[in-house]
Amino acid sequence: MQIRVQFWSYFKELTGCAQATEELVEKATIADLLQRLHARFPKLVSMQNSTLIAVGVEYQGRDYVLKAGDEVSLFPPVQGG
Amino acid sequence: MHRSLTISAAPIDEADLVAARASSTTMGAAVYFSGIVRGSEDAQPISALEYECFRPMAEHQFHRLFDELECRWPIASVRLVHRIGVVKAGEASLWVEIVAPHRGEAFAACQWLIDEMKRVVPIWKKPLPGQPVPRH
Repeated sequence: MQIRVQFWSYFKELTGCAQATEELVEKATIADLLQRLHARFPKLVSMQNSTLIAVGVEYQGRDYVLKAGDEVSLFPPVQGG
Repeated sequence: MHRSLTISAAPIDEADLVAARASSTTMGAAVYFSGIVRGSEDAQPISALEYECFRPMAEHQFHRLFDELECRWPIASVRLVHRIGVVKAGEASLWVEIVAPHRGEAFAACQWLIDEMKRVVPIWKKPLPGQPVPRH
C-alpha cells in the first residue's frame, strides 16, 4: 500500500522535500514507516526522539497500524504562541 | 460556551476584539492575553518570527482543547486568534480571551489553554534575523 508523508517546519530542510510517498506492506506500522524514512532521509534520525507523528489530524504512536490512504505528518515539537 | 478561532496572516486588532466582546451580567470576569513577538531569540536580535501552521490539524486540535476547557471550567466564551506568516517584533502573534463567572476560573482556563496549545497545536515559528524596527 502507498502511504503519503508530509514534513513540516525544519523537517522540510532536513529531508529536502515537503512530502514523500512510501510503499509498505499491509499492516505496516508507523515504526515500520519511520525505519524506511530514516534510511531514506538520514538527517531525520537525530530527531527521532522528539519527532511528533500524526495520521490525518490526530496524533498517533509508533505502534499505529497504517491503512491504505493514510496521510502521515512528521514534525518537530510545536512552538505556537 | 461560545467559541471563536481565527488563524490568519492579518494583524491582530486588540481594540476591535475587545469592542466585539458580548457582555453578560452573569459573567464577572473577562481575561485576555496578548502574546507579543520579542526582538530577540536565543540572545540574538531578530526582526520577526515566521509562523507556519498545519491548518486542518491545528483547527482540530484547538477545538479539542476548547471541548476540554468547557468540561473543566464554567466558561461562557473563548476567543483565540493566532497569526501565521511573518509577524514583526513588537506585534502580537497570539490573542486569547476567556469570559467566565469569576476571575479564578478565567485566569486558570486562559493559562491552561495557552500551555496546552504550546504542547499540541501544530504551529511552528522561525526567527528571521535582523534588527527589530522600533514601534511608536
